[in-house]
Amino acid sequence: MPYGRLLVAFAEAVLGEDHGALARARDALMPAVGPVGLVDAAGVVGLFNAIDRVADATGIPLEPEKAAASADFRARLDLDRFAVAERD
Amino acid sequence: MPVLHASAPYPIRDDLAASQARAWAHIARPGTWWDGAARVAIAAQTRQAPLCALCRRRKDAVSPMAIEGTHDSLGRLPEMVVEVVHRVRTDPSRLGERWYRKVIGGGLTEGQYVEVVSVVAHTVAIDTMARGLGLEPTPLPAPEPGSPSHYRPKGAKPGSAWVPWIEPAGASASEAGIYPSDRPPANIMKAMSLVPDEVRSFFDLVTHQYLPGAVMRDFSREYRAISHAQIELLAARVSALNRCLY
Repeated sequence: MPYGRLLVAFAEAVLGEDHGALARARDALMPAVGPVGLVDAAGVVGLFNAIDRVADATGIPLEPEKAAASADFRARLDLDRFAVAERD
Repeated sequence: MPVLHASAPYPIRDDLAASQARAWAHIARPGTWWDGAARVAIAAQTRQAPLCALCRRRKDAVSPMAIEGTHDSLGRLPEMVVEVVHRVRTDPSRLGERWYRKVIGGGLTEGQYVEVVSVVAHTVAIDTMARGLGLEPTPLPAPEPGSPSHYRPKGAKPGSAWVPWIEPAGASASEAGIYPSDRPPANIMKAMSLVPDEVRSFFDLVTHQYLPGAVMRDFSREYRAISHAQIELLAARVSALNRCLY
């Protein structure tokens, strides 16, 4: 995928606390995806930073069809430890 | 209506700027369970939460609830509301049903809780995007006068989430438009349906900061300057960092 590493570094920097790292990640991403792409990327990071909180704060479970479709890679990546039902 | 990011050094799509302006105006207005002043206070508290010493100690602890103390608060909201705002903002992946039941048992109604979560989410969505672009957080709006509506949908019932929600068959005319008409709503769409106006507002932001629901799975064309695959990579990485399975 084009610029995958730059996009991941950007997302990590936005959610991190290092302002310098964020500026560097943004400066690296901008020439790759352009200013409009940068805004789109920031929008997606912002939206998912929010919607994750809606999911976690309301205790919604994964739908059965999504659970079935993702069972293999959830197991491979040990993602089920993040499930709402696993929490105290 | 306020114009967000008017002086941004990047070209922000008109539809995106407008959706965020609508979100800001929505926060300022009386809601369903909180008036405008409380809603703006919730947004302000959301911004202050990362600075809270109690939250930082809890985040570092193996069990957050083992750390007692008082939140660093702006002093404009009841302590239980501050607890919800701070936990949702700073440590959402460790929220559990026991904690939720304790909050509801502590005097917050389910509707009040959902509306707090929604205002926190609106604020985080807009502020995180601004941070990503190196912009200062947009000044919070001035609260508008008026009383909350106190509307509780008759169709909201306990389901498989912690909070009651509306199944599509239970939606009345007052909840028209909160769900897509051509497919069953995902659980994330039902999550805040106890307060339908919050669903409408938040998913307006989803449409413009992410993608419209109808095209989320349309891989035949691209709708943004970055590709579907790039969008989903960002979404997945953020959710992994937030330890959010859903």
